[in-house]
Amino acid sequence: MTTPAIQAIDLAKSYGSREALSGLTLEIGQGEVFGLLGHNGAGKTTTVSILTTLLPPTSGTALINGYDVVTQAHDVRRSIGYLPENVQFYDHLSVRENLRFFGHLSGMRKPDARITEVLEFLDFGGMENRRLGGFSKGMRQRIGIAQAILHSPAVLFLDEPTSGLDPEGVRGLRETIGRLNSEFGMTIFMNTHLLSEVTKTCTSIGILRSGALVHSDSMGQTLDAFPGDDSLESVYFQLESKPVR
Amino acid sequence: MSGFNASFRHELVCTRRARVPQLLLFVFLGMVSVSAFIGWSARSAVTAVYDRISAAGLTSAPNPFAGSSPLYYAHNSVIYVVLIGALMAIVLGVQATLRDRKAATFTLILSRPVGSVGRLLGQLSALSVVIAVVLAISTVISWASIGIITGGILGLDPTLRLAAFAVLSWLLLTGFALLGMLTGSYSKKETTALLVPFIAWSVIAFVLPQLGTAARPVALLNPVPAIPPPSGGIFDTVNSFVGPFAVTEQFKHAAGVVLQDGAVTGSPVLAISLLIAFVALLTVLVAATPRQRLRSPLHD
Repeated sequence: MTTPAIQAIDLAKSYGSREALSGLTLEIGQGEVFGLLGHNGAGKTTTVSILTTLLPPTSGTALINGYDVVTQAHDVRRSIGYLPENVQFYDHLSVRENLRFFGHLSGMRKPDARITEVLEFLDFGGMENRRLGGFSKGMRQRIGIAQAILHSPAVLFLDEPTSGLDPEGVRGLRETIGRLNSEFGMTIFMNTHLLSEVTKTCTSIGILRSGALVHSDSMGQTLDAFPGDDSLESVYFQLESKPVR
Repeated sequence: MSGFNASFRHELVCTRRARVPQLLLFVFLGMVSVSAFIGWSARSAVTAVYDRISAAGLTSAPNPFAGSSPLYYAHNSVIYVVLIGALMAIVLGVQATLRDRKAATFTLILSRPVGSVGRLLGQLSALSVVIAVVLAISTVISWASIGIITGGILGLDPTLRLAAFAVLSWLLLTGFALLGMLTGSYSKKETTALLVPFIAWSVIAFVLPQLGTAARPVALLNPVPAIPPPSGGIFDTVNSFVGPFAVTEQFKHAAGVVLQDGAVTGSPVLAISLLIAFVALLTVLVAATPRQRLRSPLHD
């Protein structure tokens, strides 16, 4: 049996008396593109922060490629790539210097050849020596993806990857996600508000409401369950109003 | 310590690009470069006056500079380390830890297989290398300047003493860089991250010695430690408590002995031990910085 790429069992997180996440149980298989949907404050970023080891859960367990996010955090970090919302870099350094640093942090001894390869994959070749100071949001997002995939992780986490991007940037990102999944078999977990992008990109979805998962299934089965509705948007609003399981 | 090497290399690249530390570095090197010549001009002026009054038969006392060590010309560097060098080290330290909080890059860094201890000690090691390079350059400048002034190459003993002074300076400045790293990690605002270690530095360099010795503030700008208070008095009692924390005075004492300053007597062992304890304590505090603290946002 294949180890699930991502597995969460009864995951919970509280900030003082406020419960940001409660009883999240989820399983995402290898090679899936999973979209986590929900309103602002539903707990999407908290979920990603726990799965990427940035935040410890209050209770419950989460495994990435079989590694526990609390007790085997370093193994988890080695096997994931992460693109946070509004990714930031060192503006006074060049693209290559920024990527070299994150490559070294990921344990790569000589990341330069891989940096060239990744930048070419992202159609960013020839920009290695430019400083990031004057880069647009879309360009930064591409560098963000480059740092996330530099060490060839098995699982890629994208937190609101389309936030602040223009339509061209959104399309470019969608194509990149598709290629990462199809060419490298990367499992991708993304939080997003853009339902149209989820429809075009994801193979499975989950819907969070007030910290609780109200739906999780493959995209096909989700849409098939609502034969009268032809768009994910109307399905989303119906599922989002479902009682918490 | 995962992330040590990457953090070490990255810190060197970032420090090389930062403008403020570069400016302070040039000021520091400039002051060290001229300090020997300031000492030379002071000595020449006093000797000229002495020669004149001696020729007029107004004194039979020996020239106060007769027989003094050639390292006399390096004495002013002691105070430049305490004043300019310490501020440079604080700025370097604050920038190291504040940079990631300002740029919000810690979220990315901590999503990599990096421990906070490896990250912080990697940065500290890079800063201590930067400080060591600065001091090595200033030592070479001092060595050459003294050679030019005295008209000969410095012998082995004074050369080793200059090197020992550089090591002492490195120890003190690493301590202040650590202080900067600590406030860069813990401060809620960028302004307080710089202000707090500057206040701590002024307390260490001026307030504590005054409490313990009743020295005038201007006297504390001398490259020699303040004169100890008479034993048995209130200042002596206070000095026994606060004296060990006045690390800049401890540094001046140890440096004075190493540079053969006639005004400083006694063993430098206690002073050096206190300097080492200062650096060790701050290293432990920096290394103990919690992981979540490193990615806390600034409220500026």
